[in-house]
Amino acid sequence: MSASWRAVACAALAASVVALFGAAQEAHAEYGDVVINNYSDSAGMRPVVFPHWFHRVRFRCKVCHSDLGFKFKAGGNEINMLKIIDGQFCGACHNGSVAWPVENCDLCHSAKPGTPTQLHESSINLLSVPGAASTGASAASPIATKRVPAGKK
Amino acid sequence: MKTRRFASGLALAALFAALTHAGELPNAKAVYDANCAGCHATGIAGAPRTGDAAAWSARFDTGINTLYGNAIKGKGAMPPKGGNASLTDAQVMAAVNHIVGLTAAPGAAPPAVRASAKPVETVKGGARVAADVAKGKLVYQAACAACHTSGLAGAPKLGDGAAWASRNGAGAGSLYISAIKGKGAMPPKGGNASLPEADVRAAVDFMLAQVRGELAPPKPTASSASTALTAAASAATAENVMAVSARGPVAHESQDPNAFNRLMVPPGRRNPSPAEDGIHDPSSPGTAQLQAPLRSFQSLPRSNLGNYVNWGAALGKKQIQPRWDARDPKAEATVMDLNIVREVKGSMPDVVFPHKQHTEWLDCSNCHPAIFVPQKGANQISMASIMLGQKCGVCHGKVAFPISECRLCHARQKNAGTRTAEAATAGGEKK
Repeated sequence: MSASWRAVACAALAASVVALFGAAQEAHAEYGDVVINNYSDSAGMRPVVFPHWFHRVRFRCKVCHSDLGFKFKAGGNEINMLKIIDGQFCGACHNGSVAWPVENCDLCHSAKPGTPTQLHESSINLLSVPGAASTGASAASPIATKRVPAGKK
Repeated sequence: MKTRRFASGLALAALFAALTHAGELPNAKAVYDANCAGCHATGIAGAPRTGDAAAWSARFDTGINTLYGNAIKGKGAMPPKGGNASLTDAQVMAAVNHIVGLTAAPGAAPPAVRASAKPVETVKGGARVAADVAKGKLVYQAACAACHTSGLAGAPKLGDGAAWASRNGAGAGSLYISAIKGKGAMPPKGGNASLPEADVRAAVDFMLAQVRGELAPPKPTASSASTALTAAASAATAENVMAVSARGPVAHESQDPNAFNRLMVPPGRRNPSPAEDGIHDPSSPGTAQLQAPLRSFQSLPRSNLGNYVNWGAALGKKQIQPRWDARDPKAEATVMDLNIVREVKGSMPDVVFPHKQHTEWLDCSNCHPAIFVPQKGANQISMASIMLGQKCGVCHGKVAFPISECRLCHARQKNAGTRTAEAATAGGEKK
């Protein structure tokens, strides 16, 4: 009897963990999408979404990561609008000559307010932030199912 | 009579386009993407936008043959064959069918057309329901998603069974009326007065279809929900989550025993459009203007993970032609063809590192010397460090193919004797 009660408690715990982290699972952005929120939220703008896939159709990695000096680190480049209008980083192309110019604010600043800086669908993202909690939940449920037959005996 | 013939022609074309869409003839989509989408996806120069039933309805009324004729010969700002004289008439017609298919999926054509199109549609009743929901999805994305994706202004969120259950109590009919006439913060027709009522109903059907598994048929009696998981789910608010969780995590899913699947993204939810991907703000005016990944990916070779695109193959086949220099479209990559074999511990096959595939995308200085010391034996690499974003993991598992594609790196069988070029070329992204 107590074993089956424990099973129920385990399941309850698992379910509440799922419920708590359900919100985190709602984001299923494109692999490689980067949200950059170094300064946006505090400046009252939506954070930036950088779609890697869209850019790699048009440019080799080398163009941005070598010629333009983008570090391989989400949010690691300390980009601000002054640098962009001076032709650095995004501004090297987004100046109306290679790609559309900076006055289209909403095309980059399009993330949900409050979204933290991160690289979506990356291994480390799956391993740590929301994934860790869901792994805990899925580990709990097999235990629960194992203990139910034990209680019947 | 003429409308009637056009209508069945349209329905046939739509069916044909639906088939095309399913992958039978990718040609039409490729022609559309290459020659038509530039204007018809965005509405530049007054082009009627693909999927915008209101803009197309008057044009549909002229008959499919007129549409073919205008597309081939040009009309107003529309250049002959979309400006690409090398297209055959058949290709242009296929592209027109493609647009018709995306805009007027059976059931979404103007009312008169739809009524007479019925004889054809009844043959494929099931297909029509599916097409209605598909059309509803298009309408939803255009007119409803801004509020119903995020729950703005108290709108019931798409897929939120609990929020919809209380509204579905009086049946879909009253939902249609609320959607068409408006109710509370909900503006009539979602604020788009030009939307035909059939489209609004299709959008409601689509939204209801997203919660079908969770909706109890009319009255959700939570108190007597001892057996009905569906009713329990619909009553599951934050306060009584414990009552639900007593049934285990399964209570969160629909009744389909296969529905529980946390780690796999079901095919229908891969490459979501920006408004649905969870990071873009659907209420931002910019979000609606962004290209949906699938629009770009459909003509590219697919893979099982990551973007579900085999980027290496796409580049190899020149299906994408990313620039090597931001300003010079003619600059060519300096490719170095040198394989490095790393013998690894345990039973895993040895790793073959192909410089060739990497130098097609990258400059030497991207990796050397900061990430990899250019010297044999000087680099300690482990899967753990890769998963944490070091070494190969600086790109793989972030933007380059994910680390779960083990065999693309672990490509050379141990004890194979000679280090054959065959094993080496199997490395890197599939060609």
